[in-house]
Amino acid sequence: MHRYKGIWAGLVLFLVIGCGSATHAASGLRIQVVGSTTVLPVASRSAQKFMESSSSRILVNAGGSGVGIHSVAGGRADIGMASREISQDEKKRFEKSHLKIHPIGLDAVACVVSSEVYESGVRQLTREQIAGIYLGEIRNWKEVGGQDRQIVVVDKERHRGTRHVFMQYVFGNASQRTPGTLLVTGSNNEEQAKIAQSDSAIGMLSLAWVNDDVKAVSLLDQGKEILPTWETVRQGNYPIVRKLSFITAGEPKSETKAFIDFVKGPEGQKIVEESGYIPVGSSQP
Amino acid sequence: MKANFFCAGTRHAEPLGWVFAAMNFIFLLCAVGLGLFLVVESVPVLRSEGWGFWLGENWWVGEAFGALPMICGSLIVTGLALLLVLPVALSGAVFTSEYLPSSFRRRVKGIMELLAGVPGIIYGLLGVSFLTVAVKDSLNLLDGNTLFTAGCLLAIMILPTVLTLSEDALHSVPREFREAAESLGLTKLQTTLRVVLPQSLPGIVGAVLLGVGRAMGETIAVMLVIGSLDRMPNLFVAGQTIPSKLGREAAEALGSGLHWSALMGLGLTLFIMVAVLTFSGNLFIKRSSQ
Repeated sequence: MHRYKGIWAGLVLFLVIGCGSATHAASGLRIQVVGSTTVLPVASRSAQKFMESSSSRILVNAGGSGVGIHSVAGGRADIGMASREISQDEKKRFEKSHLKIHPIGLDAVACVVSSEVYESGVRQLTREQIAGIYLGEIRNWKEVGGQDRQIVVVDKERHRGTRHVFMQYVFGNASQRTPGTLLVTGSNNEEQAKIAQSDSAIGMLSLAWVNDDVKAVSLLDQGKEILPTWETVRQGNYPIVRKLSFITAGEPKSETKAFIDFVKGPEGQKIVEESGYIPVGSSQP
Repeated sequence: MKANFFCAGTRHAEPLGWVFAAMNFIFLLCAVGLGLFLVVESVPVLRSEGWGFWLGENWWVGEAFGALPMICGSLIVTGLALLLVLPVALSGAVFTSEYLPSSFRRRVKGIMELLAGVPGIIYGLLGVSFLTVAVKDSLNLLDGNTLFTAGCLLAIMILPTVLTLSEDALHSVPREFREAAESLGLTKLQTTLRVVLPQSLPGIVGAVLLGVGRAMGETIAVMLVIGSLDRMPNLFVAGQTIPSKLGREAAEALGSGLHWSALMGLGLTLFIMVAVLTFSGNLFIKRSSQ
């Protein structure tokens, strides 16, 4: 029998270590934050600051607004991040979870194009033109004032918050089908990269993610040109604006509440501004 | 061996034998459990869509779940990867096993085995930063995120696996076979093609099957370069495979009724596809060894 002693000892050791680490993990206070990639920079920067003066561990993960709402309703996360409203359908389905919304900032969604398209003269688009492009009726940039080049229409996954608000503005329907689409992307990061790689793409992006390779175009609404700048957003003139929020199931408790209050407080709101968004309470959407 | 173990009355003397049997049982339980889980979870969507689940072309959450574009996408991408990888892997394996001096061979093998262990995400990142742009420029396409790109990327990804395993198969053919063939006057090339290759065929088929299985199930690398468009596939336009679809939507659909069930249905479809592939591979080996 002594031949197997090593094996038994190994097994016992394995079990002890396994159980030990499991109980250890349960004793630490952990706050799971999941959802919108638009809210993510705010949440992760705030979490870093917050953890400097707190013993709890905050884990921030991406996934999109839909994932955030579903996760918090399903009890898989303590806080869901959302860059859109909770839809009627979701409200009905998660009635029992008593979802509570905590607004933490404001963001605008820009209609963006590859820098090459911007340079070639496409500086503004009407709502009808954007709709035509996404429906596949307008296929070439020359039809909207650009060069003779086919349009690479970039769409987002259907549950993404950015897509909801953008489609709501363009079509009046958040879950509009877009037969003109050539590419579907997920996070802001991914969409930004794909549009930058292309030289003839159009897409939708949170204003904070616009850069030299990915340019935002002005919107022409009833003959009026609306520039995609923080100025117009702050003044309440830019039409595609959305609330960024944390969502909890019921009233938040103890550390979760402390974290939400931290983000809503002066320090957190400074992080919101540094991340390229507008703090709550400083404008009228 | 099995019959021996249970009938020869040695079981009390060998407790370790029981441990092995229990481990084997765990493996069986996993395989059967996984299959059952997928079937049970996909019942709702199969009930609401019927055959339309496999034949429908539209995937609109909340209205229709048609998996045909993803099934075709998976088949096309995997087929393309196989087509690209076979000639390279086989000639590479033959060269490494039959022509390279053994000190070189060991080094080459080391590199191949190292590459075979590189995770998919690494290939995906390479693909998204280089391959998409290269495909777009060299083929003058509108955009580089296409089924073709995904197929090329998978070919690169499974090449080391297929290469090193087929090389093992070739190398395991006994030296006597080669010596006998050469003593009969066959040239080196004739020996390789007529003696070594047929002898190692089962091993090569196994290697290819493993590679194809990996290609068919690869999620993240494909997701990054395929464009994720749920439309009936066209090789040079964005498309979707079953794993990339699962990767995109699983987190959102978790615990949400029919949508979740539809994704499980996709998983079941992939499971069946891989099973059919493995089964036909085994059948082929059996046929050719007779």
